[in-house]
Amino acid sequence: MAELFGSPSSGKNPFEELTVIYVLYFDEARGHMPLLIYPDDRYKDDKTFMRPIKYHPIWFLSVNESDALDHIDLEFKGYTFFGKKFRAYSRREKRRAGLTGETPENIVIILSLPNKIELFGDDLIRHLTQDIKENFEKKIFQIIESEILKDDVIKSPKTKKIIDAGDNIKKQLRELIDNTTDHFFSTIIKKADASSIRMQKAIAYLAFKGIDVSHIHSENYKGSFSSIQLFDPNKKGEVNFIDKKPFILLKINIAEDSQELEILVQNNSLNEKKGLVVKITHLREYFEKEIMIELIDSWYAEEELVFISPIIPHIDEYIFFIIDEVSNEKLLSKRIDLNLIKKLNN
Amino acid sequence: MSDELIDKEEIIIRNYRTSDYQATLEILRELQTQFNIGLDETKWRETSGLRQFKPNLKRITLIAELKSTGQVASMGMLEAVKNNLGQYIGYLNSWATKKEFIGKGVGKILADRAIQILKSWGCEAVRINMAYKGVKRLIDIFGKVGFEPIIVVLEKKFD
Repeated sequence: MAELFGSPSSGKNPFEELTVIYVLYFDEARGHMPLLIYPDDRYKDDKTFMRPIKYHPIWFLSVNESDALDHIDLEFKGYTFFGKKFRAYSRREKRRAGLTGETPENIVIILSLPNKIELFGDDLIRHLTQDIKENFEKKIFQIIESEILKDDVIKSPKTKKIIDAGDNIKKQLRELIDNTTDHFFSTIIKKADASSIRMQKAIAYLAFKGIDVSHIHSENYKGSFSSIQLFDPNKKGEVNFIDKKPFILLKINIAEDSQELEILVQNNSLNEKKGLVVKITHLREYFEKEIMIELIDSWYAEEELVFISPIIPHIDEYIFFIIDEVSNEKLLSKRIDLNLIKKLNN
Repeated sequence: MSDELIDKEEIIIRNYRTSDYQATLEILRELQTQFNIGLDETKWRETSGLRQFKPNLKRITLIAELKSTGQVASMGMLEAVKNNLGQYIGYLNSWATKKEFIGKGVGKILADRAIQILKSWGCEAVRINMAYKGVKRLIDIFGKVGFEPIIVVLEKKFD
């Protein structure tokens, strides 16, 4: 992203160049505000640079709606911007009537990747959001407090102390982002299979950018065609699918003269899963309507199940959920667009 | 293979997997030849036997596999359908055993398991849809384990 604006960043993490990560919050007085930009904050006040960030559709979804979807994407000038939103604990005095110190902060994380490697976006934003939530959910409000106080003309010793504390947490947050991206590109994508065309294109892009991709493995390819050894068979032993999604949607079919939607889903783990709720809903005029709900007592390891839901006339968009009955955690949520499926089938 | 009954311990009863497609298709073909069950091979797809969930319907295809060889000996589809009185009725459909395993008790082991599953789903009763041809012999067999003929279904095929 940085190269688009003509100023490459310099840092120890070689993957900084690939992705720009924005941590933002909703300010009750000023609107969408950046807290931190990785690899550096230099574009924070650049309106052109920040345009896709400030108007990203993630801002217009409630946290619940955002939870229902893995992430929201926006494509702009050859880059895909992946957005995720969550609420964080707060004890910051708010500057708007009706809000209290305890009103949670709305945090938005957006990451941009060149379209050529956008297939890494799903996993990277998931890892980043998870790491940030785990480590900073209770203290991110201190960064917000510190950033607001920086605008004060006169700074008291108490104010300075709050600013220093916030800067310190911000530094830790930047380090965490640095470690997560470094770990993601150097370790996690090792576990991905390189046999798909999309993945091979992404690997080619990484190789072009001078990043060592020799560790990425292909299940099928046994030889090597170039010195970069994308598919080195000698490294096969160290590759495993460890970090994979618990459920995968294998196929969606429109069956029986378009009256039914057939969804094939696999338990992608090696363990039996118990107590799951499978729900299919559709959205109509902002209201979510449930059309199917099933309780799955046991879903065996690697078992494929078929869910058949009626198609509602004039409704083209459905959302498929797998939810843990006890923790209410959404294990899979996918938007299903009938028009897109029809186009693909033709 | 001798004519003796196969011991329960020698059989694994499990859910259908997509890898069972060919084996089940062969069994269904045998059934088609013998009883003309109306099998349309284009409609019995790889995923047709998977556990299926639909509003007011649950469906599983059970497979009886020979433990020693992994051979599919028998198959049967069970369904729980909610009727217009709000009750779930269980159905055993497409119940078939490979020729060489007929008369060895494999079908009975499979049916026992199916009935157990339908009970656990809260079904009020179990019904068996069977081919009309050769029905007397089958009614006698199922009669021994408590099944009675209660309805006759007539069918007219559309051209």
